[in-house]
Amino acid sequence: MRRHLAALLACGALLSLSGAGLAHHSFAMFDQENPVELAGTVQEFKFTSPHTFILLQVKDQDGSATVWNLEGNAPSNLVRDGWSSKTLKPGDEVELTVQPLRSGAPGGQWSANKVKFKGGQPIVVSH
Amino acid sequence: MGFASLNPSYGDAAMSCQTALGSLVLAAVLIVTAPHARAADESKYPDWSGQWRRVADGGVPRYDPSKPLRKQEAPLTPEYQALHEASIKDQDAGGHGLDEAYKCMPQGMPRQMSGVFPFEFVIGLKVTYVLFEYMVQQARRIYTDGRDFPKDEDPTFAGYSIGKWIDADGDGRYDVLEIETRNLKGPRTWDQSGMPMHADNETLIKERIYLDKADKDLLHDEMTTFDHSLTRPWSVMKNYRHIQKIMWTENNCVEGNQHVTIGKENYLLSADGLLMPTRKGQAPPDLRYFNQAKK
Repeated sequence: MRRHLAALLACGALLSLSGAGLAHHSFAMFDQENPVELAGTVQEFKFTSPHTFILLQVKDQDGSATVWNLEGNAPSNLVRDGWSSKTLKPGDEVELTVQPLRSGAPGGQWSANKVKFKGGQPIVVSH
Repeated sequence: MGFASLNPSYGDAAMSCQTALGSLVLAAVLIVTAPHARAADESKYPDWSGQWRRVADGGVPRYDPSKPLRKQEAPLTPEYQALHEASIKDQDAGGHGLDEAYKCMPQGMPRQMSGVFPFEFVIGLKVTYVLFEYMVQQARRIYTDGRDFPKDEDPTFAGYSIGKWIDADGDGRYDVLEIETRNLKGPRTWDQSGMPMHADNETLIKERIYLDKADKDLLHDEMTTFDHSLTRPWSVMKNYRHIQKIMWTENNCVEGNQHVTIGKENYLLSADGLLMPTRKGQAPPDLRYFNQAKK
């Protein structure tokens, strides 16, 4: 119960600091109007500035896999909401709502309040 | 602190001894009184120590916190309004418009005071520093030693700032820092939508920074910017919250930057480090210098 509350608080805190991404640059390059639901396996979680990236391996319908490069909030902001470089690990199965690149290439924007573990389990962060 | 000659006569030696003793006494007095003098001076200044972040309002950093991004109602000239609209259109198509922050260009003034990341003040007797966590927001040096603006100095993105401490409420302690900033370099934009500042870079920024009277953890920056992209000066109030749980992080712009600019086109790196288009139908970069057969 306390962990769920911590996770919810984390999401709330992040919302209070961000609109469409608390960014040093515009995230308008990603399609904010047509989000995409992705489910896949974390290949790598790059917790580096200026922005974090999740490399997400997504199985396509034909069985092949595409690795998406997803740009997120800065580590400087995430760490204040309890995230760290260890919050997501290679092999973690996650579900996200992303704002995709307008070109259709496998890239987009991820948000901490729109990612959870497979099955709906929230990402638990500590404060 | 003078010392006597090495080869004096007796009389000269006595004089030298007196001089040396006098110097030692003076030095001792200075050692005792100097810290107290500094402490007395420091007590005249406000306590702005610690970490400050812009007051969270659910939106992204912008010049006028009272209005949303893209709806700032900036008093732009028709020419600069058209440039801003073109920038927004480009961003909505997958580009970055006129905003160059994505490639780690310094944000410059006044944008760097929009508080995207935390900062702190270091108040000295002759200069006050504003230090930012984020590497592309350069340190500001606000000179309060009575100097004038330099006549011939290269401009910078953060500009040259001269300040004056004011005791606004007459209680014997400074509470307002008035600042004027000039000598700026570009290109600079007002915010991440790419709203451009004038290409002549003749920006003048005036600020009054002070703590809220009712809330010592709230800092105000009354800012007025004069710029030829505007039809009139643009005044706003920026507000910063004192952060209790201080955390400073590594915050550079280059380590994990995946945005690539080639010519006038921007791309994003793929998961395997190759170029990806960001717009529909975007052409690959011009490769004319690769594998050119000698004619």
